[in-house]
Amino acid sequence: MQDKTVAQQNTPSKISTLNALRLPANYGATLGVKKLLTTVPVGKPKKAQFFRTHSDENMVFPAMLLEQKEARETYIVIPAVAQELSELIRPVQLFTVIDRQNNVFLIPVPLPGEGGTRNPWHESLAQAVELAKQNWLRINANMTLGGYDVYTAEGVLPEPEWPEHTIDELVEVAFRGKIITNLDHPMVQSLLGKI
Amino acid sequence: MAAPIYSEGVRFVDFEFHPARCHEGNPPVPVCMVVREWSSGHTRRYWQDELQLMGSAPFPTCDRALCVAYFASAEMDCFQVLGWALPTHLLDLFAEFRCLTNGLRLAHGSSLLGALLHYGLPTISGEQKDAMRDLVLTGGPWNKSEQTAILDYCQSDVVALDQLFSAMQNEIDWPRAMLRGRYMQAVSGMQDNGIPIDTETLEKLKTHWSAIQDQLIADIDCDYGVYEGRSFKANRWEEYLVRHDIPWPRLESGRLDMCDSTFREMARTHPRVAPIRELRSALSDMRLSSLQVGDDGRNRCLLSPFRARTGRNQPSNSKFIYGPSVWLRGLIQPRSGWGLAYVDWSQQEFGIAAALSGDLAMQTAYQSGDPYLAFAKQAGAVPPDANKKTHKAEREQFTACVLAVQYGMGEESLAVRINQPVARARQLLALHRQTYRQFWRWSDSAVDEAVLGGRLWAAFGWQIQTADELNDRSLRNFPMQANGAEMLRIASILLTEAGIRVCAPVHDALLIEAPLDELNEVVTATQTIMRDASRIVLDGFELSSDANVIRYPDRYMDDRGVTMWNKVMNLIGEPQYTSDLRLADAPPAAI
Repeated sequence: MQDKTVAQQNTPSKISTLNALRLPANYGATLGVKKLLTTVPVGKPKKAQFFRTHSDENMVFPAMLLEQKEARETYIVIPAVAQELSELIRPVQLFTVIDRQNNVFLIPVPLPGEGGTRNPWHESLAQAVELAKQNWLRINANMTLGGYDVYTAEGVLPEPEWPEHTIDELVEVAFRGKIITNLDHPMVQSLLGKI
Repeated sequence: MAAPIYSEGVRFVDFEFHPARCHEGNPPVPVCMVVREWSSGHTRRYWQDELQLMGSAPFPTCDRALCVAYFASAEMDCFQVLGWALPTHLLDLFAEFRCLTNGLRLAHGSSLLGALLHYGLPTISGEQKDAMRDLVLTGGPWNKSEQTAILDYCQSDVVALDQLFSAMQNEIDWPRAMLRGRYMQAVSGMQDNGIPIDTETLEKLKTHWSAIQDQLIADIDCDYGVYEGRSFKANRWEEYLVRHDIPWPRLESGRLDMCDSTFREMARTHPRVAPIRELRSALSDMRLSSLQVGDDGRNRCLLSPFRARTGRNQPSNSKFIYGPSVWLRGLIQPRSGWGLAYVDWSQQEFGIAAALSGDLAMQTAYQSGDPYLAFAKQAGAVPPDANKKTHKAEREQFTACVLAVQYGMGEESLAVRINQPVARARQLLALHRQTYRQFWRWSDSAVDEAVLGGRLWAAFGWQIQTADELNDRSLRNFPMQANGAEMLRIASILLTEAGIRVCAPVHDALLIEAPLDELNEVVTATQTIMRDASRIVLDGFELSSDANVIRYPDRYMDDRGVTMWNKVMNLIGEPQYTSDLRLADAPPAAI
């Protein structure tokens, strides 16, 4: 078949010529579009939300939290102010976690009390957060047992893709406008009964 | 970018022609040609008797010269019938105008007149042009004054080309424009070949079509009761759906969505819908008299290259055998001693997305040979040892999910498509995002590029201006479709230049033909070239292909059209098509 011979002889040189004309599909490369981190929720994951915990110890932030459940607001309080509100403050560790949709959030895990123990809810939450360093899991409150049921994903799910943010940056976004640094803060004034 | 230097000159060329014996589907008969030299303006006019005596073009066509035309496949058709060697360098200002303005709303379209008006250049009126085209299409004979008028008209087009070239030359992406010119030559070759048609059966269909329609309705509608005469009644269809508890998509107005794509989708999830969908499609799309078949029994029509926004060909649905209902493709039959092969890239769009996005998981899925099942495995939805048989239902759902992503389908549409709750569709779409994160980042970047940069492009320069097009679905789908079109163009060029007889490009496939004793080798060569084309477009990533080989006297058949084909053949007393590719005994004629 003479046509085939022609094809075999001509194609390699034609291919290299054509290759030289190819344009890259690097859309957006020169535009520098970058997704900004604008929201970092703080709280426990939802019932159906599988999550993973960042295994790097540097991605844990110790903090004093003031929770206003009525307003669904959580504040970070610096130690000097925390002393004035001691019974309302909860010392926690903020763990960096991520869900399957790549949403990053912080789970506050209360630290053990003075006797070195936690209540069962906090203890099971701490265990779940630790387990989530290796496995995708979700948690569900079990009122009868007084702790969280933990469910691990059965499938072989891909590892999470962590954003390139430090824990300080995450905390800054999560608590933007909600850091109490002195006793003049309206929230403190209100809790102390001064206004 | 300025025009390269051509030491033997740049020439504008235009032919006037009509189809042989004035029958659409026949090759063209050149009536006259006018050639104009750039810069000097030197112009030469040739009437058909002079052209027939020439063994080659009366101007340089070597690699030191450039030939310029508008919608150049027509000029190349004339070169072919005159037996002239095609020019080495061909610039098609139509292809370039389409490429430069694709996506923009053009006030005057993309004809030569439209392009001239776009650049503010003088033109003859559309009426004058139509009148002269009509005069040419009479097929002659023409008296002296008519000949002069036709030549003057032809000359006015090359003068216009000269002006248009001067206006456009600095906007043209020259190296890739030359490639588009080569594609127009390939298009000409494919149009010249055409597709072999079983004209005997076609004539029978034409003769009996009226009676066939009535009989088909009687045969199929007896299970539905939705036709009144030859009219499909929507209210009766609604009653049928209620009776059989079939949920059906509705338009915003509340009326049933009656478009063919909805019937096609619903037929997949509710098989009892399939026969009535085929009937509707058969009755509405069938305009047998429009199908352009030449005297030699070959379907030839304008392939309309670069017409679609994606750069794909857009031949007329009624003139091209691949346009009407799929069952009619059974009319494609190789001539005696020859064979055909329909060669298509496997999961082309998935492969393109995997390669261009650089998503390694997606590339692994493509290379597994079954990307849909591989996706299900990667998502952890089926065990690693799952196969098509053990996890058929899951595979179907993941297949639907991949297609939904490619076409920008939402969770509700996908739910209807897979006949599952919306929650399942939502879950599948989320799994796609989680499994193929790099693909989604790349897809998001394409949207950013379109919105901020104002255009998107494919590997060989086909582009879309996106100022007027901010539809998220279309923008995300453009890279796959446009690069698929580039791949088809590269393959068409390499195949036709290698002397392989290509009958037609069909979306992501090529129909080729060869004598039976060479068929296997030609199919192998075709698949090699198609693999090369994929590597060229996808920077080394290779797409595989499947070949459906048809040897005379077998006929081409699309699986989706077998039932309807056999119903119709039964009605006209022709042999039925069987899946083992043998022709069954002919039943007695019913009409």
